Amino acid sequence: MGEVGLNAYLMVGAVLFVCGVVCMATKRNGIGILMGVELVLNGANVNFVAFSRYTPLGLDGQTTALFVVVLAAAEAAVALAIALNFYNNHLTIDVDSGNELHG
Amino acid sequence: MPQTGDYLMFLLTTAWLLPLVGFVIEMYWLCWSHRLSKGAAYFAVGFIGAGFVCSLLALLIWGGATGWSALSGHHGADAGHHAAAHNDGDHAEHHADDHAVAGHATEHATPVKKYYAGTYYELARFGSLRLSLDWYIDSLTLVMFTMVTFIATCIHLFAIGYMHDELTEEYEDHEVHMHGGGHFSRPGRFYLFFAYLSLFCFSMLGLVLAGNIFQVFIFWELVGICSYLLIGFYIERNSASTAANKAFIMNRVGDFGFLIGLMIIWTSFGTFQFADTDSHDSPEAGLFTMIRGHDGRLDVSEDGKQVYLRDASGHRAEQNGQPRTITYLLLVAAGLGVFAGSIGKSAQFPLQTWLPDAMEGPTPVSALVHSATMVAAGVYLAGRFYPMFTPEVLLGIAYIGCITLFVAATIALVVTDIKRVLAYSTISQLGYMMLAIGVGGWGAGLFHLVTHAFFKSLMFLCSGSVIAGCHHVQDMSRMGGLRHKMKITAYTMLIGVMAIAGLAIPGTSIGFSGFYSKDAIVASALAYYELNNAHFLLFITPLVTAGITSFYMFRLWFLTFAGQPRDQHVYDHCHENPKIMTIPLIALAIFAAGCAWGGEGGPLFRLIADSELVPAVERVVSVGASKVTLPSHQGHDSDVHHVHATAGMLALISAFIGMGLAYLMYVQKSIRPSDIRRQFSSVYDFLLDKWRFDDLYEVMFVQPVHIVAAWCVSFDRKVLDAILHGSAKITVLVSGWDRKFDETMVDGLVNLVGTVTFSIGSSLKVIQTGRLRQYIMWIGVAVVVLFGALITAIPK
Amino acid sequence: MSPETLLTCIVFLPAVWAIPLLVFDKEAKEAMRYWGVLGTALTFLLTLQLWLQFDTKTSEIQFGFAHDWIASWNIYFRLGVDGISLPLIVLTGFVCLLSMLASWSIDKNVKGYLMLFLILETGMMGVFLSLDFFLFYVFWEVMLLPMYFLIGIWGGPRREYAAIKFFLYTLAGSVLMLIAMLMFYFNSGRSFDLIELAKIATGTGKVATFDQTMQVAAFIMLFIGFAIKLPSFPFHTWLPDAHVEAPTPISMILAGVLLKMGGYGIIRIAFPLCPYGAQYAAYFLVGLGVFSIIYGAFAAMAQTDFKRLVAYSSVSHMGYVLVGIAVWKIVDGKTINRDYWTMGLNAAMFQMLAHGISSTGMFFMVGVLYDRVHHRDINKFGGIAQVMPHYAGLAAVIFFAGLGLPGLCGFVGEVLSVLACWNFSPLLAIISASGVILTAGYILWTLQRVYLGPEYKGPHPEALVEANSRELAIGYTLVVTAILFGVLPNLLFSPMQGSIEALTQSLATAYETLYSAAPAVQAAQLP
Repeated sequence: MGEVGLNAYLMVGAVLFVCGVVCMATKRNGIGILMGVELVLNGANVNFVAFSRYTPLGLDGQTTALFVVVLAAAEAAVALAIALNFYNNHLTIDVDSGNELHG
Repeated sequence: MPQTGDYLMFLLTTAWLLPLVGFVIEMYWLCWSHRLSKGAAYFAVGFIGAGFVCSLLALLIWGGATGWSALSGHHGADAGHHAAAHNDGDHAEHHADDHAVAGHATEHATPVKKYYAGTYYELARFGSLRLSLDWYIDSLTLVMFTMVTFIATCIHLFAIGYMHDELTEEYEDHEVHMHGGGHFSRPGRFYLFFAYLSLFCFSMLGLVLAGNIFQVFIFWELVGICSYLLIGFYIERNSASTAANKAFIMNRVGDFGFLIGLMIIWTSFGTFQFADTDSHDSPEAGLFTMIRGHDGRLDVSEDGKQVYLRDASGHRAEQNGQPRTITYLLLVAAGLGVFAGSIGKSAQFPLQTWLPDAMEGPTPVSALVHSATMVAAGVYLAGRFYPMFTPEVLLGIAYIGCITLFVAATIALVVTDIKRVLAYSTISQLGYMMLAIGVGGWGAGLFHLVTHAFFKSLMFLCSGSVIAGCHHVQDMSRMGGLRHKMKITAYTMLIGVMAIAGLAIPGTSIGFSGFYSKDAIVASALAYYELNNAHFLLFITPLVTAGITSFYMFRLWFLTFAGQPRDQHVYDHCHENPKIMTIPLIALAIFAAGCAWGGEGGPLFRLIADSELVPAVERVVSVGASKVTLPSHQGHDSDVHHVHATAGMLALISAFIGMGLAYLMYVQKSIRPSDIRRQFSSVYDFLLDKWRFDDLYEVMFVQPVHIVAAWCVSFDRKVLDAILHGSAKITVLVSGWDRKFDETMVDGLVNLVGTVTFSIGSSLKVIQTGRLRQYIMWIGVAVVVLFGALITAIPK
Repeated sequence: MSPETLLTCIVFLPAVWAIPLLVFDKEAKEAMRYWGVLGTALTFLLTLQLWLQFDTKTSEIQFGFAHDWIASWNIYFRLGVDGISLPLIVLTGFVCLLSMLASWSIDKNVKGYLMLFLILETGMMGVFLSLDFFLFYVFWEVMLLPMYFLIGIWGGPRREYAAIKFFLYTLAGSVLMLIAMLMFYFNSGRSFDLIELAKIATGTGKVATFDQTMQVAAFIMLFIGFAIKLPSFPFHTWLPDAHVEAPTPISMILAGVLLKMGGYGIIRIAFPLCPYGAQYAAYFLVGLGVFSIIYGAFAAMAQTDFKRLVAYSSVSHMGYVLVGIAVWKIVDGKTINRDYWTMGLNAAMFQMLAHGISSTGMFFMVGVLYDRVHHRDINKFGGIAQVMPHYAGLAAVIFFAGLGLPGLCGFVGEVLSVLACWNFSPLLAIISASGVILTAGYILWTLQRVYLGPEYKGPHPEALVEANSRELAIGYTLVVTAILFGVLPNLLFSPMQGSIEALTQSLATAYETLYSAAPAVQAAQLP
C-alpha cells in the first residue's frame, strides 16, 4: 500500500457526505435526519482537514473544521430542542407530518 | 351789542326748538305721569304758544328795525334805513360767521336790509364744498312763523277737546273689527298725539327757517314722516296705515325730483346757500346771487344756451380764468326738479291722490298738517326758490297749478264726506297758489297761502267740531240742519266758507280774506294772459274754478248746517262742543275774515311782498330761450294793477254764481241734484272715482313694481343661485370623474403590480410542499444536475 | 398706553380673552356670557381710547409700527391707523359689544360660541388695523373660519347650506385676492407693505410704478374679492342665505362689520394700489353700485321673510357705498371737480358706518321678534305695536334710519353719495336717486305689515311680551347713535376727511402721471 494520498481522504469525505445526504433524504425520523446532517458536516470536515494537510492552505482548514464542529454541536442543540417541541405538538418525530410550511 | 339779526335768530330759534323739547317730554310722558293726564297737551300748547309769542316778538322787532318800511311801501327811500343797514353791514364783518350780510346792501340802490342769514353749525365740509345748518330770516319767514305758530296753537287747543276720548285706559276703536268679533280696544294715546304734533311743529318751523335748500330738504322729509305718523295715528286701522304709506311714498316720488334738482344745483353751483355767506376774507355768493346777481336778471349768453353765474359782488364769476356758467337747460331741469318736490308735498297734479286719503288722520291733523302748513310748504318752497326758476319752469308751475285746481275742484263737487270735500278744496286752493307763482304773481300766491291757512284750518276745525259733535259721522248726507244745535260751529264755518269763496260786498273793496288773495291771483293770471295770449287757459280755469269753489263750499255748508235733518238719530245725539274747541274756532274765524285786510295795500300783503328777492317788479321780457313774458305787479302803472279791478269783478261774479247755484240746489231745491246726477251719470261716476287716478297708478306703478320685485327675486333664485348651484354640481361631477380616474387608472396600476406578484407567488407555492426529505431530494438532484452541467459545459 | 401696545391689545385682546373660557364650567352659561361681554366691552373701550388719541389734523398713518414676522419673505407684523380705518375699528368694537349683549338667546354650547365669537372679533380688528398685505390676508382668513362655524353650528334649519355658501363665496374672493397680492409682491421688489405699495402705485415709491395691464388685472381680481364681501350684485346671493340662517348676533356682526370689509378693502387696497385700474373700471363700478341699489330694493320688496328682507336692504344700501367710492370723474387724464369725489368717498365711508348702525339695529329688531315667536314670516305678523309699544317705537326709528330719514344716520351717507354722483354721471345719479322711492316703499310696507294693525296673526301670540331691559338697552344705544350721527355727521367726517382728501389727491396725481406717460384708451364713458 503506498502513501495514503489526498484522494483517499476525499473519497472518505465524499462517502460520508453521500451517506449523510442519503440519510437525510430517506429517514422519516427527525433524529435520523439530524444524524444525516452530522454526517454531511463531518464529510465536509474531513475535506477541510485533508486540504489543510496537502495544500498550502495551512492551519486555516483545520481551524474552519473546528468551527464546524462547534457549529454542529450548537446546531444539534437547537435542532434537538426543535425536535422536542415538534414531538410535543405532533406526538411523533416523523418529519413528513410536519408540512405546515407548505405554500 | 347784539344786532337785529341776532335777536331775530334767537327768538325764532327758540320758537323752533321749543316744540322739540316738548316732543321729548311728551314722548316719555308715561315715565313721569300717567295715561289719563292732560299734562302732555298743556306742555305742547305751552311750547307752541311760547313759540307764537317769540315769533310775534320777532315780527315786531323786524318791524321796528325796518321802521315798518314794508308797510309804507317805500322801499329804500328812507335814508335812515340806509344808515342802519350800513351799520349792520359793517358789523357783519366782525361777526363773520354767526352773523349775516345785508342782502343787497352795499352797492345798490335798495339799501334796506331784506334778510338776515347765518349758520348754526357745519354738517360737513369737503374741500370747497360745505354743508351746514343755516338760518335765513326775511319777512316771509316771519309771517310764516307767526302764522304757523298761531294756527298750531289754536289747533293744539282744539285737539285737547277733540282727542279727549283717548284719555282712557281702554280706547275702543269702532272702525276696527277683530278676528273673533267685537271691536278693537287699546290703551289711549293722548300724550303720543301731542308728541307727534310737537315733532311736526318743530319740523315745519325748521323748514321755514332753513337757510339752504339742503336743509329745506331735511325738514321736508321730517314733516313728511310726521305726516306719516299723524295720518297713521290710528295704527290699528288698516286704512289709516295704508293712507300714511301712500302719503309718504307719493311724497318720496316728488322728493326724487327734488333730489335731482339738488344734485344739479350742488354740482353746478357748489353751494346750497340761499344767502351770500360772508366768511372772513372771501364772501361767497349764495344761490340767489349767483343766478340773479343783484339786479335780478338772468345773465344769459348770446345763444341762450348758457347762464353766467355771478360772484358775491354781482359780477360774472370766474373759475380758472373761465367764466362759470350753467347750461340753461340744466337750470330749467333743476327748477323743475325742485318743483317736483313741491308737487309731492303740496299734492299737485299728478301726485294729488294722497291728500284725500290722508284724511284718515284725526281732524286736528288734517287742519294743521294737511291744509294749513305742511302741504303749503310746497308753495312756500316754490316761493322761496322763486329766484332760481326760469320762465319755462314758471310756466310749468302755472300749468300744473291750473290743472290741479280744476281737477280737485270738480271732484269736490261730488264728494259727500265732509273732510274729503275740504281735502279736495285744499288741493284746489294749493293749485291756485302754484298758478299764482307760475304767472309771476309771487306775492299773490304767498298771500293766498297765508289767508288759505287761516280759513282752511278754521273749516277743518269746524268739520272736526261737527264730527266730534255727531259722534264720528263724517257723511254729509246724514247731516243737515245742524246750525240749530251747533251755532258757533255753524257760523264760524260760514265765515270760512265765505272766505274761501272769496265773497265781498260788490262795489266796495270790503271782503273776506279769500277775496283779496284770490283777486290778486286772478289779476296776475289775467295780466299774464294779456301778455301771453296763447296761455288763455291759465286765466279762464281759475276764474271758472272760483265759481266751482264757491258752489261746493256752499253745498257743504248747506248740506251740513241748513235745511232739515236727514238722519234724525245723528241730529238727536249731536251737540255743540266745549269751549276749548269753540274758542279756537272763533279766534281763527276772526283771522279768516280779516287777516287780509286792505288787500294788496294792506299790511299782510306788503309784509310778504317785502321779501321778494327777484324783482318781477319790472316786466320781464323773454329771457333766454323762453317765449313768455312775465307781468310786472308793483307800482301803479304795473301790468297787474291795470287789470286788477276787472279781475276782481270777474272773480266775484263767478263766486256769486257758484253760491247762487248751491243755494238753488240745496236750499231752494228748485234744481234737483239727483236729476243732474242722472243726466250726467258717466261724468258723475268719473268724478266720484276721482278721475280714476288711483286705478291708473295702481296699474301703471304699483303692480309693475311688484312684478319687477318678483322678477328680481326669481332672478336671484333662478339665475344667480342656479349658476352657483350649477357650478357646484359641475364641481361635484368633475370630482366624480376624478374619483373614477383614481379608482380605475391609478389604483389599477398599483393593484396590477400586487396581483401579478401574488399570482406568481401562488403559482410557485406548489413546490413548497413542506416535506423536508423532498427538499433534500431536490437539493441532491440539483447538485448532481449542476455538476453534470458543469462537467459537460466547462471545456477541458 | 403706548400706541404699539394699544393697537396690539385691540387686535389680540378678544382672542386672549377667549382662552380663560376653557376653564369655565360647561353649565356656567351666565358667567361665560358676562365674561364675553366684559371682553368685548374692554375692546370697545380700547377703540374709544384710540379715537381719543387720534389726531384728526393729519392725514398720515398714526400709531404705525412694524415687527419682523417672516423676515426672509419681507413679511412684517405691521399695524397702523388712519382716518379711513379708525371709524371702522370703533364701529367693530361697538357692534361686537352690542351683538355680544344680544347673544343671550344662544343656549347651545355657549362656551364654543363665545370663543369663536371672540376669535372672530380679533380677525375683524386685524383686518382693519393691518397695513401689511400678507397680514391683512391672514386676518381676512382668520375671520372667515369662526364665521363658518358660527353660522354652521348655531344657525337655522338650512345652516350647513348657508355656511358652505358663505365660505365658498368668500374663499373664492380670497383666492383672487391672493393672486393679486402676489402680483404686487413680485412687481414691487418683494414688498407686502400697503403704504409702500401705494407709494409705488402713485409713482413715488422706490421702484417703477405698476404698468397699466397689471393694474387693470389686479384691480379686477381685488374688486371681485371685495365685491363679494360688500356684497354687490351679482355676488350677493350668499348674503340672504347667510343672514337668514345665522343667529341674530351673528347677523348683526355680518351686516354691521363684515360687509364693511368689502368697502374698506376697496378704499384701502384696490384703489390706492391700482389707480389706473380703478379709473378704468370706475364707470362700471358706479353702474354696478346703482344697479345694486335698485336691485336690492326691488328684491327686498318681494320678500316675505323678515330677515331676508333686511338682508336685501343691505345689498341696496351697500350699493351707495360703491357709488360713493367710484365717482371719480376723469377727462383727458385730469380729475374733474375732485371735491365731489372726495365727498363721494366720505359719503361712502359714512354710509358704511351708518349702515353698520341701522342694519345692525334692524337685524336685532328682527331677532327680538324671532326669539319670541320663532318665525319670520312678515305676513303673519301685525299689531306688534299694540303689544310691544316700546320696542316697536325703537324699531320704527331704526327702520326709518334705514329708510334714510334726515336726522338719522342713514340719510347723510345716501344723500351725499347720490349728490356726488351727478358730477360723475347724471344718468346714473338719477337712477340711484330713484332708490329713495323704492326704499320708502319696502320699509314702510314692512312696518305696516309687522308693527301696525290691530292684532298679531301668527303663532305663539302669548310669547309677545315687551322687550326686556337688556334688549331695550341695546335698542336705545343704537337709536341714540343713529340720531347722534344723523344730527352731527361732522363727528364722523372730521377724523376721516384728512385721509380721504389725501387719498383722492394722490390718486388724481398718480393717474395724471400715468396718463401723461402713456395716454390710454379710456373705458367708454356714457353720460
